[in-house]
Amino acid sequence: MVDRRTFLKAAGGLGLLALVPATRVRALLAAAPAPGQAGRFLTAHELDALRTVAGRFIPGPPEDPDPGAVEARAAEAVDLYLAAFTFDPPLIHAGGPFSNRAGATHDDFADFVPLDRLAELGWRIRLEGSQGKPEREFAGPVTGLQEIYRSGLAHLDQRAGGSFAALPGPAQDLILSDQTDSAVQDFVGVALSDVVDATYGPPEYGGNRDLVGWTVNHWPGDTQPRGFTPEQVSNPDPQPATPALSAKAAAAALKFLPALAGRPAAHAAPWAARPGYERG
Amino acid sequence: MAKESVIVVGSGAGGSAAAWALRQAGHPVVILEKGRHLLPGLGTPAGPRIPFGNDEVKPGRAFENQDPVLEPRTSRTQQEATQGVDRSFVGDVNDLPTTVGGGTIHWDAKTPRFWRHDFKGLSLYGPVPGANVADWPLTYDDLAPYYDEVENRLGVQGDVTKMPASTLAQAPRSHQFPLPPNPPMYAGTLLAQGAASLGYHAYPFPMAVASRRYDGRPPCNSCGFCSGFVCPINARGNAAMSFLHHALLDGAELRPRCFVTKVDMAPDGRRAVGVSYVDPSGARQHERADIIVLAPSAIETARLLLLSGIGNSSGQLGHNIMFHFFTLGIGLFAGEPHSWRGPSTTFTIDDFVGPERGPAAQAAGLPYLKGGICEVGGGLTLLAEAQIYASLPNTWGKVLKNLLRQSIFRAHLAGLSMVGEDMPQEANVVDLDPKVRDVHGLPVPRITYSVHRHELAASAFYGPKLQAICQAAPGAVASGTVPVGVLEQETGGFGSPLAGPASTAHIMGTARMGDDPARSVTDPWGRLHDVDNVYVGDGSVFVSAGGFNPTLTIMALSLRMARHLAGSAPAAAPAPSTRAAPGRLAATGGSSAVEAAGAAALATGVALGSVRRRVQGSEDGKREARS
Repeated sequence: MVDRRTFLKAAGGLGLLALVPATRVRALLAAAPAPGQAGRFLTAHELDALRTVAGRFIPGPPEDPDPGAVEARAAEAVDLYLAAFTFDPPLIHAGGPFSNRAGATHDDFADFVPLDRLAELGWRIRLEGSQGKPEREFAGPVTGLQEIYRSGLAHLDQRAGGSFAALPGPAQDLILSDQTDSAVQDFVGVALSDVVDATYGPPEYGGNRDLVGWTVNHWPGDTQPRGFTPEQVSNPDPQPATPALSAKAAAAALKFLPALAGRPAAHAAPWAARPGYERG
Repeated sequence: MAKESVIVVGSGAGGSAAAWALRQAGHPVVILEKGRHLLPGLGTPAGPRIPFGNDEVKPGRAFENQDPVLEPRTSRTQQEATQGVDRSFVGDVNDLPTTVGGGTIHWDAKTPRFWRHDFKGLSLYGPVPGANVADWPLTYDDLAPYYDEVENRLGVQGDVTKMPASTLAQAPRSHQFPLPPNPPMYAGTLLAQGAASLGYHAYPFPMAVASRRYDGRPPCNSCGFCSGFVCPINARGNAAMSFLHHALLDGAELRPRCFVTKVDMAPDGRRAVGVSYVDPSGARQHERADIIVLAPSAIETARLLLLSGIGNSSGQLGHNIMFHFFTLGIGLFAGEPHSWRGPSTTFTIDDFVGPERGPAAQAAGLPYLKGGICEVGGGLTLLAEAQIYASLPNTWGKVLKNLLRQSIFRAHLAGLSMVGEDMPQEANVVDLDPKVRDVHGLPVPRITYSVHRHELAASAFYGPKLQAICQAAPGAVASGTVPVGVLEQETGGFGSPLAGPASTAHIMGTARMGDDPARSVTDPWGRLHDVDNVYVGDGSVFVSAGGFNPTLTIMALSLRMARHLAGSAPAAAPAPSTRAAPGRLAATGGSSAVEAAGAAALATGVALGSVRRRVQGSEDGKREARS
């Protein structure tokens, strides 16, 4: 890993876009903004608030024994996502076929894939919103994710009567779980999904730092090109990673089975705000 | 004399198969694909570079998948349609990958054949009230040689000696599969034992996954990121690798990011002269050809024909759209079946295909119930699991952490997924949305769909049987099922992002084939009744949905159509180079199960245990029910 100072020096000396992509991504991750520092899109205050929200969604120590979203740097990853177009290629689609975690030498995931004209248009609409531009409003105006985060975090501050991040945890939870406040719930729907992605997805997207999201859940992550041996596929593991499941706990989980039968709700539905897109 | 020039619209399962066969027959072929080209190097001797990995985030970011921001679709129920509701949902409605290679770029690659009875439903079993049941204008035997050829091109694994006699009576095979089965997945083995204890028969699921080197592709190493993910090592056969790659090597021309907006007609209205399309820069272009093959998938074919104002003298165009109603059986285990580790599932059960004509059918006022083939033993990856928990009401914080630590839905779950047959209904229809437009300014497809009561009754009938298998599996501590009716209730019905049919990738039946131009859109070869030189080469032409993953049948139909167009018979003895590799069974006649297992062991370099030799393969659908 390149430390922050080395990164800044390299970025200053060579120009950001001149860096080798994979190196640049690694450097970016190492240079994640600390508390009190501005992100690439979010202000210092907004990023601190999002860090707090992420910590409520997926708590870590001392509240929970295992690392959570703060340790995974999920908020910083979401900030990178919102700022995707400040990089070229934009940090939206990691590359392939292999990271360097399972037998390959080069981390292909860190070589982000460029967008073409149409894909870029879709992602600018999704992230930046339609901004009144005719070419983005073929189906009406769209609120972008940047605005959804900016206004959502501002609303949390408003609910807190000042700084959301300064409230005690239980008070933060009360606001985040307030089902009567649709502005809060709309924001929670988007941010929770993004924070989960950042915590448990590949680290090239900026979260899951030191693979904390995977190791705590005994998840191997990407295993190519190594894969699994026929023995690992066909036989039980010698040492189970989780405690045996009791019949009682299993029975209690059955009522949630319908959630398995479809797809999770879309992370965000930017089209939902368009005229003509309303239900009914 | 120069061969007729051909434009193929869509580079997915049907389009690539047609392009390959037509190019092979010497036709100039141009393939127009609306999606991006994400396989650089495809069609060159070096082969493609794969920018896909074991990455759970990217599929949710419209990489190979259609971007509903650019290309939304809309939907509503039949009831809403009668109430005058224009649409009740906008976004991703049965979206398939929008990229070179189409849906098969990340398919589950399960390749069961349709059964004899699927082609003759009306004459064998009679009409179904409220459904538009009809016979296909062809038989299983007409399609069988093309099934053989497609299986050889794809490199399908399986073991004919393990298939039930009842299956082989309905879908006879003249050859052993080109490849032996993958190592059987542990979760599937457990469920297969549960099935056996109840008198059902699990066997290795035929699938286009290389179990050893095939057509230049390496064997599967069971990484577990299969259905819904593009294979990072290219072990799966698919439209891009098995057909398009070879068509391009042979001189076909591929134009990615070219969106066809219209079939251009001659003044006489009987012949097409070419197509209009939007090129990658956004400029409007025209391409002329003697023959047009449409294969952009059932929803987009209907849309394109409607946009072109052709093909609908029967009034059937866009109607009879079918998905599959996936019904789940879920087993929760005390231990860890690691159901995610492997190519989704390696076993199948086809004991629930039907028809069931007993009291359950009579109670529903139906002549019969049909289910479908089952994917046996599948599970979830970590991020999918986490997102499911997070989608439950107010589930975050310590609750979410505890759920993930306990990992009931990943570490302790193995399930069955039944590919249930969906009745064709005239009122289930694709048309043009009156208001919503896509990025090109064109009306988007609007899907009006409600399940028939057959689907509700069949799901309620077979669901408990799936559950019983799970409960009977060694080590299961709880079991459940999710019938279609419950799903409709729990998710707010079709149109919700969580609804069953809206989330499937099996899309069929909007331009059904038939002998009667008054009741069907294409002739028995796939040619529009109304236009002499426009052919449909995708799932649109299906007359019934069958209870089987449809892609093999799409490819076989398209290949048959292309051979007919080219005036040539099917290849007599399709024989990819590895077919006669050492250890393979040359014929099915004298081969025993032990020999077959031995061949599999040779191929995989592992001695199979007796238990697994008995039950073989385990396969199960990903929760997305995508294949």
